[in-house]
Amino acid sequence: MKQFGDTARNNSSGAFTMRIVISDGPLGVNWQHASETCEFLGDVFALHHAKGGSDYTDARHSIIYLVNELLENAIKFRVPGAIRIDCSLEDGNFELTVSNDTAPEVATRFQALIEEIISRDPGELLIERIEANAADESSSGSGLGLLTLMNDYGARLGWDFSSSTSGAAVTLSTHAALTLN
Amino acid sequence: MEIKTGEYNVWNEGSIIHYEGTLRLSGTDAYQPILELMQTVLAEKPQNLVLDLTQLEFLNSSGINLLAKFTIELRKHPDLPVKVLGSTKIPWQSKSLPNLQKLHKGVELVIV
Repeated sequence: MKQFGDTARNNSSGAFTMRIVISDGPLGVNWQHASETCEFLGDVFALHHAKGGSDYTDARHSIIYLVNELLENAIKFRVPGAIRIDCSLEDGNFELTVSNDTAPEVATRFQALIEEIISRDPGELLIERIEANAADESSSGSGLGLLTLMNDYGARLGWDFSSSTSGAAVTLSTHAALTLN
Repeated sequence: MEIKTGEYNVWNEGSIIHYEGTLRLSGTDAYQPILELMQTVLAEKPQNLVLDLTQLEFLNSSGINLLAKFTIELRKHPDLPVKVLGSTKIPWQSKSLPNLQKLHKGVELVIV
């Protein structure tokens, strides 16, 4: 098992929690699942946090942006298999873990990207990456979602990689924590 | 010009480009038609340019990358006044739009 960044989970067993598993059934996992899932979790957790007003709007938006970015990554980089989503909220601390299997070579490339992301100032690296993407037509802008989360949303991110149960793939869990206003 | 779906709508009125709805496309290729619309407006050599985002409720990081890429292109037109309009009611705009000014000092950011 390899760990990077902030993987600590601070919410207690008394926290408000929800688990969603997007199963890789006959209909398949597709892009639309990211938006449907993030909207649902945004509604449920924001309402638990605040009954209305700007606190509700801010919390809902931050949760939707966070869940969507991590699910987009999971859908893009996974190998066949389920995507598991665990959320919890306690005293304004929202914690999210997204787990999925990925190919070993993809995991290795991603670890190199993570090492760069966590060793630099996210604001500086964000601008640097955008400049590099603009200069290279073929660049997909990978890493920008994580950098916007860290820099624009103050999200604390962590990752762990372990062998999948079948052994052929790598199970990646991405952990995120956000302080809601 | 107009790109309209059930989720979002992007169109221009002269040199004002309007964005409306939720933009959550899968990457650079998926955003290409929107980038082309923006580039077409720019190619018409307008006196000024406005990106009106006040109705754009959500934009994913690939979409933020699109705005950033276009902003970098605008540096080649240093005399073109550019205004980016945002809304305080839409949280992502106050969080992420200031990045555009870091890329191009000529961008005037108005979030009201």
